[in-house]
Order: sequence, then structure tokens, then C-alpha cells
Amino acid sequence: MPGITGHDGGDPDMDAGLLAQYIMNGLMLGMMYALVAVGFTLFFGVLDVIKFSHGDVLTVGAFAALATYVGLHALGLNSSWLDLLLMLVLSTLAMALLGMGIARYLVMPLRSAPALNTLLITLMLGTVLRESVRLFYPQGANPKPFPALLPRASIDLGAFNLRLDNVLMLAAGVLVILGIQYLLNRTKLGLAIRAVAQDEETARTMGINFTAIVLITFAIGSGLAAFAGVMNGLYYNEINFGIGLYLGVIGFSAAIIGGLGSIYGAILGGFLFAGLQTIGTVLLPFASAYKDVFAFAVVIAIMAWRPTGLIQEKISERV
Amino acid sequence: MRKTCRRTTIAIALLAFAAATVAAEAKDKVKVGFIGPLTGGVSVNGLGGRNSVDLAVRLRNADPKSKYEYELVVLDDECKPNVAVQVATKMAADKDIIAGATHYCSSTAIATVDTYHKFGFPVIVWGAVLPDITYRNKYEEVHRVNGTMINQNDANAELISKLGFKTVAVIHDTTDYGKGHNEYFSKALAKIGKSNIVGIFGVTAEQQDFTGELTKIKALNPEVIYFGGLTPIGVRIRSQMDKLGVNAVFDGTSGIVSDAYIQGLGPLAEGTLAFREGAPTEKLPGGKFFMEKYSAQKYDNPPEAYGAFAYAAMDMILDTIEKVGPDRKKVIAALADVKDRDSIVGKITFDDHGQNTVPVITKYVVQDGKFVEWDDSEYAAGKRKLPGQK
Amino acid sequence: MAQKTRISVWPGVISLAIGTAYLIALLDVERQNLIIALLVFGIAAVIAAAWLGLLDSVSASFADHEDTLGGCAIIAALAVAAFFHENHFVLLLVITVLLYSVATLGLNVQFGYAGVLNFAGASFFGIGAYTSAVLNSYTAVPHLVVLVIGGLLAALAGSLLLLPVLRTRGHYAAVVTIAFALLSKTFLEVNDVLGGPQGMQVKGTRILGWSFNDNITICSVSLSFYMNYFVVSLFLLVGAFILVRRLERSWIGLNLDALRLDETAAGCFGLDIVRWKITAFLIGNFLIGIAGALFGMVGGFVAPNNYTFADSLILVSILLLGGIGNPWGLIVATIIVVVVPEKLQTIQEYRFLLYALMVIAVLLFRPEGLLPRPVRRYFPGWRP
Repeated sequence: MPGITGHDGGDPDMDAGLLAQYIMNGLMLGMMYALVAVGFTLFFGVLDVIKFSHGDVLTVGAFAALATYVGLHALGLNSSWLDLLLMLVLSTLAMALLGMGIARYLVMPLRSAPALNTLLITLMLGTVLRESVRLFYPQGANPKPFPALLPRASIDLGAFNLRLDNVLMLAAGVLVILGIQYLLNRTKLGLAIRAVAQDEETARTMGINFTAIVLITFAIGSGLAAFAGVMNGLYYNEINFGIGLYLGVIGFSAAIIGGLGSIYGAILGGFLFAGLQTIGTVLLPFASAYKDVFAFAVVIAIMAWRPTGLIQEKISERV
Repeated sequence: MRKTCRRTTIAIALLAFAAATVAAEAKDKVKVGFIGPLTGGVSVNGLGGRNSVDLAVRLRNADPKSKYEYELVVLDDECKPNVAVQVATKMAADKDIIAGATHYCSSTAIATVDTYHKFGFPVIVWGAVLPDITYRNKYEEVHRVNGTMINQNDANAELISKLGFKTVAVIHDTTDYGKGHNEYFSKALAKIGKSNIVGIFGVTAEQQDFTGELTKIKALNPEVIYFGGLTPIGVRIRSQMDKLGVNAVFDGTSGIVSDAYIQGLGPLAEGTLAFREGAPTEKLPGGKFFMEKYSAQKYDNPPEAYGAFAYAAMDMILDTIEKVGPDRKKVIAALADVKDRDSIVGKITFDDHGQNTVPVITKYVVQDGKFVEWDDSEYAAGKRKLPGQK
Repeated sequence: MAQKTRISVWPGVISLAIGTAYLIALLDVERQNLIIALLVFGIAAVIAAAWLGLLDSVSASFADHEDTLGGCAIIAALAVAAFFHENHFVLLLVITVLLYSVATLGLNVQFGYAGVLNFAGASFFGIGAYTSAVLNSYTAVPHLVVLVIGGLLAALAGSLLLLPVLRTRGHYAAVVTIAFALLSKTFLEVNDVLGGPQGMQVKGTRILGWSFNDNITICSVSLSFYMNYFVVSLFLLVGAFILVRRLERSWIGLNLDALRLDETAAGCFGLDIVRWKITAFLIGNFLIGIAGALFGMVGGFVAPNNYTFADSLILVSILLLGGIGNPWGLIVATIIVVVVPEKLQTIQEYRFLLYALMVIAVLLFRPEGLLPRPVRRYFPGWRP
């Protein structure tokens, strides 16, 4: 049997266009990973918990956006921009609410239990969300086409296909990340979130409403997941109930290699992971299928080298 | 202590009740099985097969002449080899189930043949196309009413060559199904000798992102992308081809002949080629009968490409049980003698490997959101052109 | 009750008997509404028992009369097997329970005692299974030796992870094993030598010319061929259980406990943290690997999708459900996790949903697990 994995054609010449295409692919992936990873970091910051249903919140967000689109069409609205705006707003709000609900009813009640319990309960919640989409969204088990709402103009530069929609999505992602960054560092709310993240007790004594801050943080993080879900839909033009599982795990790994608790670490981790996958594809011409093996192996190596992530969290031993 | 006693009583009572239930069920009921993918990306095909089999059982139960009352046991293999082995074990291990119509996915069918052999459980495969399912071993338990993938790949290679395409890139999933398609398509194309394969890419069935592979393919610049795999990743690859500006004919196999493929892609599905063994359902000898009865039951899903075969498989199982009684060994012996048997998919003859011969291949092209027979299409008539078609 | 120095053995024996009867009933019932009724009844009974404080006396009884009750448990397992001696599928389920219990005992040594997280349990289980697939197909290594090799290979693969696991803590250590779980599954999937996503067939066990895959007939009573595997699995579980129990009670277990509760303090008192972490991690993986190797032979088939991250999570959830550190709880939890979804098969579509909701409920309302680990007793009969 001829080559099973990889390909046995000649290695294509590595010209500039091809390189640009790989970079573009990597950037798009990295942006999605980073958005998910930022969510993990936010949750970990305020509550020291890993909320593993994050990826599935993304799925639900994407499906909520799709449902909005279908609904708008049933109402006879056909403007791409208006559709897109409403889809984003509605799904982000819905997921923000869902995130608050998760924090209020599943994560906060388990605060005194071991960290593993929180991890497990959110994991199971992820299963519930995923299965609910599969079972209760009409024909939810099948891949769903996601409308291409952004202008599809493209310039073909040799092997590089520069698409306007990809550029717009990247720009939007950068804006969102800058917005989060501004919110955290320049506003009173951000100050409160950072205070809670640093020391819950002190923050409380300073008059910060701890519960409110936690809920708001979960709302922000989950809203980001919805944004990433819509972006995922627009990029692949297809969503299915399983997208969140994979993105969630990668986002988590990205947050960890970046260093939990640091938003820059999460972004760095996201792009790093996407970079590793892309490099894996390019450098392993005979077996691009091994790109994920390569990426995760590097993650393990990074953990051995920098045990608390690339941007190190300050830890002190409590004796 | 009193509470414990009470609970013991209840437990014992329940045990007795359970035993009684088992005893009460030992009526003249005969169980037959169905396995197919009821969840996951190819679930529409599985549900179509399930409904068709259900129809066969219902019609038989409604027939006053039938000797037994049949009960259908339905299990879901999720199109995953590991799950398939689990459910196949479950079904074959249950001695009350006499025989089964099993599997749409080749990867699951090939994984389970040993299980059926181990338990001596007669099955008729209703949708999987990998030749090895019947030909790798000579298991008397395993039969198949639909054809293998060899003929469809011959037809595929022939059409590609005839249309004058010179370069083909192959993407296949790395299950035995995709590997089989790659093997037989490559052989068929080499035999004709008019076109070259410029690259072969193996992808996993759960992969989401194909931009890496497609970027490489774009650099290879083939006229045709042959895809040996099932609907879910077919949809992804076709839509990501568009994203990367890969302008080639998308040439699929029987694995994408499904409404889900068209729904998943919308207008992008236009011009996709696909091949399937057997005539289209409406042109089958019993096609009209089958479609009428099927629509009378008002199932949620259409029978899809292999529904008629599933119906034929179950109908043959029921015929055999009527004739020789509910006994696995006798059913196996009787199935070995099937020759020129009439069915809704035409005459069925099992060779010494239990394989039916289905010489007819239907060539499809997607036109205006439908799988249309190639010869009736506007593409064949020259009114429309595939990308790069001369 | 708590004042007595000697706790009665009867609560343990009776609960075991009821549990066995209930299990047999549950395994035997086929009709869905009956199964649901049984499950609802079971849950209600357990909640009622917990409410009345009966569960505590049961666990106290188990703690005091472990050897006697262990013997009873073996008899109970034999009783279940005897009841279903001809029923292939139920026996397969029972074997699954036994082998998953062995694997979770391994996880228990790692997490329950030493506090080392392992989210790649299913991967090490898979390494064992693939070992038996490869060795049984291509070599003539005796199958009992294959089991041991499976365990050793799983431990060896685990030692690759040791450096990052030892250097990291908490969530960071979790990500190392999660990354390994994903890596190993993807590796198995893309690696064609090991069958790729298609998986591999595993030849049945043969010990001293005795083929495990043939049905047995003793004096006109025919037994399912799974009976062979059942016996070996039961031996394995009993062995693993005794090993883990001895380990826990020994000074090694004491060291591990100290290490888990406060690593820094343990270090200050001169415990060699690295050494004990390695020991626990390797012993755990060895147990998981052996169980996996035998399970590969039982199932006759291995595929990457059997050993995904989700499966590792199921193993971890067994650990939590049962009560971390309590081997008895683990076995109960394994029975629940393996049997319940299987019995709910006919409401197929909703089984994962229900299962996930059930775990959420347990975590919310009984976060310490069904049977929490009792406080260590430093002297026989001593209790706090």
C-alpha cells in the first residue's frame, strides 16, 4: 500500500507565498486558542479553579449564534452585518449568563472541596452541555453549516490566498484582547478583579463584593468563549457539537504553558501552541499527522523546563 | 437493624420479581438485531438503515403467515471501531438474538467480523464497502448484500480519466475504509494510466483543521482532489478548500452520498462527484414498493443511500428464520445456499465468502443541491462545467 | 456505636449481601422501566441509609473486619459469576468492573496516597492493552509474562513523564498528564504500525495450553469462556487490593500520606519526596498497565478511541465517586460507573447526559465521595 500517512509526492517548494499561508493559518488558530486560554486564566485568577466546561460553553455559544441566524432568517432579516452583530451580541450575552450560572451554582458551592472536584464537576457539566447540543439542537449530531457572513473578497498571491474575512477576524480578535487588557488594567472593575485574584481575604476587607466580582469574571470569560465560538464558525464555516472539547483542552494547555494567572501568558501560550502545530505540519513533511503529537510533546518539555509556565507565577511555599 | 431487614426483604422480592420477568418473557418471540451509526457525523445513514430494517420487521409482523413475532434489537456503533466491538459483543453474546443486519461504516464492520465468528453469530452487512470484510477471512457467519468498493473506484478512475484530468491528490481517512479506498483508487487509476497521483494525505476521522494538508495540496496544484472518507470530514475538507482558494474537482466515494453532505455545504457542494454500487433506490426492482412502504411509516429520516440494502438484508434474515427456525447454526447453513434470490435490490447470490455481487455502479454529481446521476446531469451534457473541465 | 472498641461484622456482611443481590437483579433485568425503577430504588435506599447513618456503621465494619469481609466479597463476586455462568455479556461487564477496579487502585496509590495527579490513566491502560496486542500477535511470549510486561511498559512510559510531573504541582502537573493523554491517543491514531485508528485484534489468552477463548463444559454445565478471564481478573484484583492495602498500612503509606498532606513539611522532616513520588507513580502505572494488558486480551480488540482523555476522566471520576483513598469505595464506584450506563443502553441517546448529571449531583451533595476514606488508625482498634 502506498504511503499511508503523510504523502509521497515531492516536497513542495517552500516559497514566500506558501510561508505566508502557513503563517496566516497559524495566526487564525492561535487567535482562537488565545481567546479560550484567556478565559481559563481569568477563572483561575479569581477562584483558583479550572473550569473545564469552558470549551463546551464555546460550542453552546457557536450554536446559540447559529440559532440566532436561523431565527433572523425566519423573520426575514437578511443583512449580513446586522445578522452578525445580533449573533455576536446575543450569543455573548447568553454565554455570559451561562457562565455566571455555572459559577454561582456549580463552582462556588464547591469552594471548600478539593480542587479536583471543581475540575470534575465542570468537566461533567461540559458533557452535559455537549450532549444537550447533540440531543436537543435539531439534528445536533450532524455537522452544521455556519453562514459565511463576512465579505469573502480574496487576493490570490501565488500559494497565498489572502482573504478579507480572515483579516477582519484577526483584527476583531486583537481588538477584543486589547479591550480585555484595558478592562483589567485601566478600570475600577479590572482593579477589583486583580485584587480578588491576588488575595481574596484582603480584597473582601477592602470592601470588594467578592461574589459579584467572581460572577462578572465568569461572565467575561464565558462571553469570550462565545466570541471564539462564532469566530470558529466563521472560519471553518462548519460547527459541530464536538468543537469545544478539543479547543477547550488546547486552550487549557495554552493557559498552562503560558503560566496560569497571567493574561499575557495565555495569549503567548495560545499562539505558541498554534505555532507548534503549524511548525509540526511544515517540518514533518512525511507525517504532518504527527503535528499534534509534536505540539503536546513540546508542551510536556516546556513544563519540565518551566514548571509554572513561561511567564512564571510567583509561588511561595506555605509552611 | 429492623431497617436492614426490611431492605433485605425488598431486595429478595425484587430478585424474585426479576426472575419472574425473565421467565415470563420466554414466549414465541424471536429477536433479530441491527447495528449502525445512530449518533455522530454519519448518523443519518445509520438512522435510514435502522428505519429500513424496522420497516422489514414491521411488515413481517403484520403478515399473518409469519410463524414468529419478531423483535428488533437496535445498537449504535457510533462509526467507531472500538464501540462497534463492544456492541457487537453485546449483541452476539445474547443468545436470544438469532441474526443481525450490521454496519454502515467499513471501519466498524472489519473490526467486528472476528467477534461474530467467535460467537457464531450470523450477520448480513448492509452498508460497509471494504472488500476485506468478506474476503480477508472465510467466516461462514459474515455475509454482505451490498457491493464492495472495488467497482466504484474503477468507475471513479474511469470517469476522471475520461474527463481528461491529469493530476489527482488523494486525501483519505486512516481507518481501513479510507486506506482501502486509497488502495483501490490508486490501482484503478494506474491501470488506466492517463492521470497521476501527485500526493497522498492520510487524515484522522476526527480532524477539524485541514489547512495544513490543503496548503500543501495547493502547492501541488492538482486538478482533482480524490477523497476516501465519510461525510463529516468530507464537508470540512470541501469547505476549507474554498477558504484556501484550492480550485479542484472534489471527487468523493460512496461515503459522502448522503443528504447531510449537501446540507452541510450548501452551494459549495455543487459539482462534487461521488460513486455508489447498486442502482439508485428508485430504479431498483423493488424500489417503488420500498419507497411507498417507507413513506407510509412516516419516519423522521429518509432511507438514505443504503436503506434499501438494509431492508433487503433484514428481509433475507427473516425469510431464513421462517424457513429453518430460530437457530443460529441453521441460519448460517441456510444463508450459505443463497442463490439468485429475489429481493428489492435485485437478485442476491452469496459467493463462498458470503459476498453478493453488485455489478451496477451509479455515478453521481451534485447539481443544484441534489445528487444527480452523472449521465442525466447538465455536467455530462456539457451545459455546466466542473472546475478545470475541458 | 463509636464508643465500642470492637465494631460488629454484621453491618458489613449484610450490606455486602444486599449489594450482591441488588447487583445480580440489576444485571439480570432487561426491561428499561424495571431497570430505571431499580436504579431509583437503589439511589433512594443509599440516600436513606446515609440519612440513618447506616453507611457509617457499614464503613466502620469494613474497616474493622477487612479480612473477613474481603473473603465475603470474593464469595460475592463468585456468586455473581456463578449466577451468570452462561451469560457472556454480563460476565464481560463483571470482568470490566474487576479490571477497572485494578486500574483505579493504581490511580488511588498515585493520587489518593501520594497526591500525584494522573489524568492519563486510560493511556497507561492502553499501553498495557497494546502490549498484549503486539506481543500476542507477533511473539510467543507466555501470556502471563505478557501481563507483567504490559505493566512494566506502562510504568516505563510513566517514567518518561516523571521529570515534568515531579517538577510541577497541582494544575501544572495536571496539564502534563493531560498533554500525555492527548499525545498518546494521537500517536496511536497516526501510527500505522499499531493499526492506526482502525486498531488491532488481540489474540485470546492461552496459559499452559489452556485456551481462554473456548467455552467450558463441566459435567453437562456449560460455562461461558469469559469464566476463564473472570477467574484471572479476580485473582488480579485480590492481589492488587492486598498490595495496595499493605502499602497503605505500612510505613511507606505513612510517608505517602505525609507527603500528600504537606509536601514542604514532609520535606522538612527528612522524607525523600522525589523517591516516594516516583515509587507511587510507578506502582500505580504498573497496576494500570497489567489491568490494561489483561483487558486487551479479554476484549480481543484495541483501538486508540478506547483510551482517550475522556476515558481517563472516567477513571478519575471513579476515584472521586468512591471516595479518594478508600479501596472499598473504589470498587463500589467502579460498579456504578461501568454497569449503570451499560444498563441504560436502551435509552441510549441520553445515557451520557444522565450519567454526567448523576456525577454532578454526587459532587454537589456528597463531595467526599460515597465511602470516604476513614482516618488512619495507628493501633489496632484505635479510633479518633
